[in-house]
Amino acid sequence: MPCNMDLPSTPEELDLLDSASWKNVLNDVTKWHSIPLLNHTPLHQLKDQSLVRFRGMVQDMMDPEIYLERYEVKSSDGGRRQQPGKYRDCLRLGKDEQLDYQAESNVHGERRTLFVVSVPGLNGWAKEHEKLCNPLPTHQTATITIGNGIKRSLDERVEMEVDKADDETCCSSSHSVKRHCCVPPAVNKAEESNASSCPAVLGSDYLLNSPLPSRPSMACMVKVYEDFDKYTLNSLMDFVGFLSVDPALDAATLDDDALKDVDSLSELQAQNPSPFLIPRLHAFGVKPLPHANPLLDQSLKQPAELEPVTSQSLETVHKDLRMLLKLCLFEDDLCAEYLLCHLISTVYSRSEMQSIGKFTLNICNLPKDCLQQYTVKLYEILELLLPASHYLPMTLDNMNTACFAPKKDYETNKLVSGMLQLAPHTHLLLDETRMQQGKLEANGVHAIQHLANVINNQQLKCDFQYYHIDYNVDIPMLVVSEGRSMLPSDFVLPIRADVKAVELYEESLKAALHYLQPARLQQFRSYLTLARSSQFSVSEDLTEMIQLDFVDMRKANVKSSADDLHGLLVLSRLLGIARGKLALDKETWHLATEFESTRRQRLQALPKSSVPMRN
Amino acid sequence: MARRDYAQDRESIKTFLAEFCKCDDDGKKEFVYGSQLVKLAHREQVLITIDLDDLAEFNESLAEAVIENCRRYAAIFSDVIAELLPSYKQQEVHAKDALDVYIEHRLMMDARTHNPMNQRDERNAFPTELMKRFQVGFKPQSTEKAHSIREVKAQQIGKLVTVRGIVTRCTEVKPMMVVATYTCDRCGSETYQPVNSLSFIPVHDCPSDDCRVNKAGGRLYLQTRGSKFVKFQELKMQEHSDQVPVGHIPRSMTVLCRGEVTRMAQPGDHVLVSGVFLPMVRSGFAQMIQGLLSETFLQAHRIICINKSDDISDKDAELTPAELEELAQDDFYERLATSLAPEIYGHLDVKKALLLLLVGGVDKRPDGMKIRGNINICLMGDPGVAKSQLLGYISRLAIRSQYTTGRGSSGVGLTAAVMKDPLTGEMTLEGGALVLADQGVCCIDEFDKMADVDRTAIHEVMEQQTISIAKAGIMTTLNARVSILAAANPAFGRYNPRRTVEQNIQLPAALLSRFDLLWLIQDKPDRDNDLRLAKHITYVHSHSKQPPSRVKSLDMNLMRRYINLCKRKHPTIPDELTDYIVGAYVELRREARNQKDMTFTSARNLLGILRLSTALARLRLSDRVEKDDVAEALRLLEMSKDSLNQIHEHQKGHVPNTSDRIFAIVRELAGSGKAVKIAEIMDRCTTKGFKPDQVDKCIDDYEELNVWQVNMGRTKITFM
Repeated sequence: MPCNMDLPSTPEELDLLDSASWKNVLNDVTKWHSIPLLNHTPLHQLKDQSLVRFRGMVQDMMDPEIYLERYEVKSSDGGRRQQPGKYRDCLRLGKDEQLDYQAESNVHGERRTLFVVSVPGLNGWAKEHEKLCNPLPTHQTATITIGNGIKRSLDERVEMEVDKADDETCCSSSHSVKRHCCVPPAVNKAEESNASSCPAVLGSDYLLNSPLPSRPSMACMVKVYEDFDKYTLNSLMDFVGFLSVDPALDAATLDDDALKDVDSLSELQAQNPSPFLIPRLHAFGVKPLPHANPLLDQSLKQPAELEPVTSQSLETVHKDLRMLLKLCLFEDDLCAEYLLCHLISTVYSRSEMQSIGKFTLNICNLPKDCLQQYTVKLYEILELLLPASHYLPMTLDNMNTACFAPKKDYETNKLVSGMLQLAPHTHLLLDETRMQQGKLEANGVHAIQHLANVINNQQLKCDFQYYHIDYNVDIPMLVVSEGRSMLPSDFVLPIRADVKAVELYEESLKAALHYLQPARLQQFRSYLTLARSSQFSVSEDLTEMIQLDFVDMRKANVKSSADDLHGLLVLSRLLGIARGKLALDKETWHLATEFESTRRQRLQALPKSSVPMRN
Repeated sequence: MARRDYAQDRESIKTFLAEFCKCDDDGKKEFVYGSQLVKLAHREQVLITIDLDDLAEFNESLAEAVIENCRRYAAIFSDVIAELLPSYKQQEVHAKDALDVYIEHRLMMDARTHNPMNQRDERNAFPTELMKRFQVGFKPQSTEKAHSIREVKAQQIGKLVTVRGIVTRCTEVKPMMVVATYTCDRCGSETYQPVNSLSFIPVHDCPSDDCRVNKAGGRLYLQTRGSKFVKFQELKMQEHSDQVPVGHIPRSMTVLCRGEVTRMAQPGDHVLVSGVFLPMVRSGFAQMIQGLLSETFLQAHRIICINKSDDISDKDAELTPAELEELAQDDFYERLATSLAPEIYGHLDVKKALLLLLVGGVDKRPDGMKIRGNINICLMGDPGVAKSQLLGYISRLAIRSQYTTGRGSSGVGLTAAVMKDPLTGEMTLEGGALVLADQGVCCIDEFDKMADVDRTAIHEVMEQQTISIAKAGIMTTLNARVSILAAANPAFGRYNPRRTVEQNIQLPAALLSRFDLLWLIQDKPDRDNDLRLAKHITYVHSHSKQPPSRVKSLDMNLMRRYINLCKRKHPTIPDELTDYIVGAYVELRREARNQKDMTFTSARNLLGILRLSTALARLRLSDRVEKDDVAEALRLLEMSKDSLNQIHEHQKGHVPNTSDRIFAIVRELAGSGKAVKIAEIMDRCTTKGFKPDQVDKCIDDYEELNVWQVNMGRTKITFM
């Protein structure tokens, strides 16, 4: 392995290097190529203390830990030696050796544990692509060799837990998250007999804490040693570090004596889950990910055959993509334009209470004949284009039972995740056509409030029981509904379906799928991600023109408000970016105003409902 | 750092305890700790708190040493006190509990059988912990700042720190063994084992001479009566939301309380905890995996609930001189007002009113009657004029606030509900939004959409500031000292100028009169305003920040602290001003009679003026209400009326310019006489919302027209 020349393979080796030199090594993205991705490598193919990489979203942050950075070990024959403790969970002690707690040379350090989950809602193709980029581990046959010589693979263990969980009835199901009460997989027979006296162990679902329970993420506890303030909740990160899977780290294996202290048991277990379920990673290299798209990540070893999207082809890609969307949207060109803008939207600035750049689109007035299948099929197409997205049918059941915003569980000191705890740029398709008449319960009302809060402010309110804290998110939301949506949105666009297209919609969607050949797909995917991150500016002259336009607008129509101007500015920006422009020009501005007035006309044409309009 | 001489410190602590005194008002010396020691000796007091301010006064370096190495000094203090106590005993003490009796017996026995030659096993001597029936606590110096949990780091281990936060979890109070006492089943001798950690290993074999020499193998049995227990409680506390940096998770910390500091706080309490930050020694599994890790905790010395005692000032909340200077600039009133919801453009007067709502007037209690100081404001306006944003901002800015919408809450949800506990069957009271916002602001959006029945529940709150409950056997009155900020839409979508206020928002007069200020926010196209708005928005979009030209808005946290500071002032209205206020009120009433006013004026308005002017005085951090405050209060009242009335004027088609209106006022003032003092005109006009320069302009204009003459000193006007 060439990387061994530069990258340390054990914590001890790293300790010998000075920090500047390995930081230098990590700056070279090609060095990242050869490190196996924990996301896609089965644990049994990795060695304890080997170098691995994990990509994911910071889901929770735990309290700081104080650990022994350097400690003195004394052996029974009186010998003493120093041992570094950084990047490790367990003491390294030989036989008959003991840790000297009182030694003067012991150094304490501080580290933080981050609970990281693999990108929630990462779509199949992105996962596959990441897998392709993953270097094959060299030790194919190696199994985990652990301190006290017990060998066990991940699969085996998980299976045991699942079986047990099914047998037991849920006795401590709290809130809406299922908490399984299962017997801990006992290490030996003596314990098994005591198992019945063991209090409830938390289920693996609860421990894994996936934001989207239907699409479980992989979790990893990452210990970081520096720049503690750099990490924010819900941000995407790429960590490089040493794997730690010592079975001693599992609180479920603890003996009866320790169980006496019942108060903190569930917390202890939540903080120390089985390392085979949730491995530990001691990170020394961290890289924030600007997006989840693996196609454009330099630090991943891309399979050779891909050609990058150049700016010349941007125009054509845009045209093709618009065609495709038009095909999927009953031949409605305007709708395709708006949807494309939605797909590349991002919150590019936050000033005090406003988040600028959000583009929540509500496509309404869907033809009644094809409601059954259409939304799901539309999502299938979007899923192929976007690196991360999620489809949420807004059924009464879903709204009333699902957990939307994260909530702090003080019993276990964990932030229990909710469906809206998503990484930036994870698209959410809310399907309001699935809503039935019925009773929305307390949870459902809260769910709507959370959704509205995300739509209006792009902020997620996390429940800390005694108070709430708002976290900034960037979740573009697409709401599809039959009539006007009950949720607020920045742009409400009634679709104007072509009668013929409605009849043929199944065929068109099939054709669209057929059209999406791998090479074209790659182009589209790269295009969308690139467009999202591209810069855009507005010149002084044009700003003045816009200002005057707005004054005229107000004169013409009293009802036009500041929000309309915000909307126009965002729309013109996105239309410009989609066309590969770097600055706003008159043409784009006029296009945006034209689109907006067409959209307004369509809205006017909508049948007025009997319920008074919301403020 | 040189090692401290503990023996010497011991001596100085002894002198400190015995001799430290303060002079009270009469000049008499009061031995603060000496008197406490007497109480300790008589078992009338258990906890002795050493104020480090006192200690620093006595010996500064010693106080520093205590902060640095708190645990050690706590032990030294406790030893010294134990040594001193017998000399402070002035009378026989009656035994308070079983352990007292037990100790007395042992001491008597010991005295009887005392034999200097007989060497006893160390374990069989009475451990000092068993004999000490008191507890030592430290009170940090008053200059000590309260930290947030994330500021407490490994360097602080062993030191006395003060942390602010909210209690999230607390265990039951349990007895914790401090000294285990055993008796031997063979020789009957007693063995003592002091326990210092959270767990201990019991001794089994009797170590006494008899058993050892005779190899009797006596077994030891634990004696609960002879063992000493202290109360023990474990708390979990968490950072408060304002201490958490953006995008981070609040941190938590374990707090261990012993003895007298237990049962001081419950989950949900905001607390200030002073204590020693220490690493924890755990056993069992925790130790196994944490060979490398050490858990930390705070050994509490003092716990204060902030929400219970408002007078305890949090050092964190004090404003620094630099901040005060920034605030003390001339235009601070405007600046504070513009800093409210800076993203909402204009509406300066509304924002000023909201600022006064946050500060609040002064409560008065003449002869048991209670007159509220809280200011209630109702905002009305066409849809989409940022009413909800204003409400949202206020509810975020206010230290204690509740935000509800009229449609989403019932009367019960707002006031209080009687709930039956499913387990015990007990009736309990659950506070609604108004009770929860006690001493704060309750923002009610879509006030007009509330059901009438529910709205009546608010009447009592708005004037009496209490909620009375008579339900299911519970009769009580809860405090709800809240300011209500309501927002309502006009009844027919848009404000109809041809109707009265009541008709427009369909709220009964009884409720409307309870609002000190009613404000109509309108959205009218206006070229200049629109252009400014457009400039603002385009700037935000292209530069991703607020335009710099505007007054820099103040930080929310700074505002919060300033408002807190203001609330501590209790300004009074000097007698000289009463005439002025009365005059202004009479004028208001007269006008209301004469004009066909769309609003109404009642005695409540007078109270409203008083409230607003005291709030203004508070805002200036003054203890006296000045004339200017009253004038500004009257101006605000006038502006709020204007906002309701101006439409009517537009409707008439005739828009009198300001000069004309001022002239009308002057005419009125003059009455039948010919001369009017300019000072009077100024007074009257400013209360009507005119600016002095407008008045001056009017005077000049009409002088040019030869309507009147102004004398040389510019003090008087004489009509021609």
